[in-house]
Amino acid sequence: MAPHLGQLTSATKTVHVRNLVRRFATKTILDGVDLDIEEGEFVALLGKSGSGKSTFLKALAGLDHDVEGTGTLDTPENLSVVFQDARLLPWRSVIQNVTLGLPGAAGQEAGGKALAEVGLEGREAAWPNQLSGGEQQRVALARSLVRQPALLLADEPFGALDALTRLKMHDLLRELCARHRPAVLLVTHDVDEAISLADRILVLDAGQLIEDLRIDLPSPRDHGDPRFAKIRTQLLSRLGVETPGRRAA
Amino acid sequence: MATIWDADEVKSSRQSGRETVLTVPAVTRPTSRHRRRLGPGPAIPFGLQIGPALLVLLWVAGSAFGWIDPRILSAPWTVVEAFGRLIEQGRLQDNFVTSATRALLGLSIGLVIGTILAVTAGLSRIGEALIDGPVQIKRAIPTLALIPLLILWFGIGEGMKVTTIVLAVIIPIYIHTHNALRGIDSRYVELAETLRMSQKDFILQVVLPGALPGFLLGLRFAVTLCWVSLVVVEQINATSGLGYMIELARNYGQTDVILVGLVVYVLLGLVSDGLVRLLERRVLSWRRTLAN
Repeated sequence: MAPHLGQLTSATKTVHVRNLVRRFATKTILDGVDLDIEEGEFVALLGKSGSGKSTFLKALAGLDHDVEGTGTLDTPENLSVVFQDARLLPWRSVIQNVTLGLPGAAGQEAGGKALAEVGLEGREAAWPNQLSGGEQQRVALARSLVRQPALLLADEPFGALDALTRLKMHDLLRELCARHRPAVLLVTHDVDEAISLADRILVLDAGQLIEDLRIDLPSPRDHGDPRFAKIRTQLLSRLGVETPGRRAA
Repeated sequence: MATIWDADEVKSSRQSGRETVLTVPAVTRPTSRHRRRLGPGPAIPFGLQIGPALLVLLWVAGSAFGWIDPRILSAPWTVVEAFGRLIEQGRLQDNFVTSATRALLGLSIGLVIGTILAVTAGLSRIGEALIDGPVQIKRAIPTLALIPLLILWFGIGEGMKVTTIVLAVIIPIYIHTHNALRGIDSRYVELAETLRMSQKDFILQVVLPGALPGFLLGLRFAVTLCWVSLVVVEQINATSGLGYMIELARNYGQTDVILVGLVVYVLLGLVSDGLVRLLERRVLSWRRTLAN
């Protein structure tokens, strides 16, 4: 496993990354990434495919076994990951999936509450296969929240959902984050998604962060707002899409 | 595949239903619009029973009209009589209990050993290095070819018989459980890591339930193999059991008793397979919802 240096250096920094390098064979995927994420800050990470987004997220999650690399990487012990697929165990009921690995009755109660929070009260006994894609992703959110994470890592969590469900999930995620205040790193390829959710947007390109943009629009954000459109154009150009006004798909 | 065909059938039957409502009788539907069905079509009611019933019917007719020599194959009614006689004498029950005890003992021991070997080989590289090779070699040797050696080691008593069954049963249990363990999606392993699950929780919540479908498939093969091995060991060297009863009847040319033995084997095979399938349906109810 690549170096993973345990505890926090600063009280308010949830994530502290300096000069992070990750390599696969001879190819350098992450080439000296520096990043700090404050407590409760919602950060979105944009990037073309192959830019190293997923490698970065895996490094933060401590999932990059056998990957070569160097650098300083401080993340809280208590972090949760939401994957692109809901990744529910099909042989465990919904509530069992939420409380997976949690001990005893306290876990059960917290699990029930978390399910209610994502609007799935009463579906505790259902099998994951009986739920729609959006509902499965809600269960995955509940599974992450029930652990009260200091850091929530999300790897294109809504990428597999249809457009309408995705919008509803944005509202839900915004609401949940406002209540629980974890620091969030949301990896996405959807520029609008990033702008409507994040406090801060990063763009990763060829293994380096080439943009760090603070978004000061009031929430909830109006896609028709001219400032929204301006930020979108700016980000799209950083991503190499040079058609002004075209919406990111 | 079956479910896909079924879904197509439902769709096409719904469509044709709607079309018959809408089409005016005078208008004939152009035949070119009729898609040729590539699936096997709707199920025939009691389809699975037709073949066996036809065979029994042939047997009855052959015996009644004297086409079949009773020395070659006894008539069905003679077999039924022999069945009653054997039960009256208590021979059938005694031999059945002896055989069933051997089979169950061999099956249970083989199940436990096969599962332990599969889990050990599936979860640790050292375990795999030590276990997988020998099991694959054992798999290449027909269990029945081991019988001479087993007789030399264990004599001709119960020990040899149960060991033969155990050795036969281990293989399908090991192969299918190990295969299922290896096939568990690495994404679930990643999930377990991010949830900081303990090794124990990981095995109990992810590994074993994930490998259960494979284990149950192995169990179905094991049950069949267990009866097959039983027949062989009982016909080679035994003084009791269904196989012995059949072997004895061969000496006296009693085809009716042989047939009673065979019918009991058929029933045992079907009933035990049915039981495993019932178990499968109970334990894998999460999969049934997918098929629905």
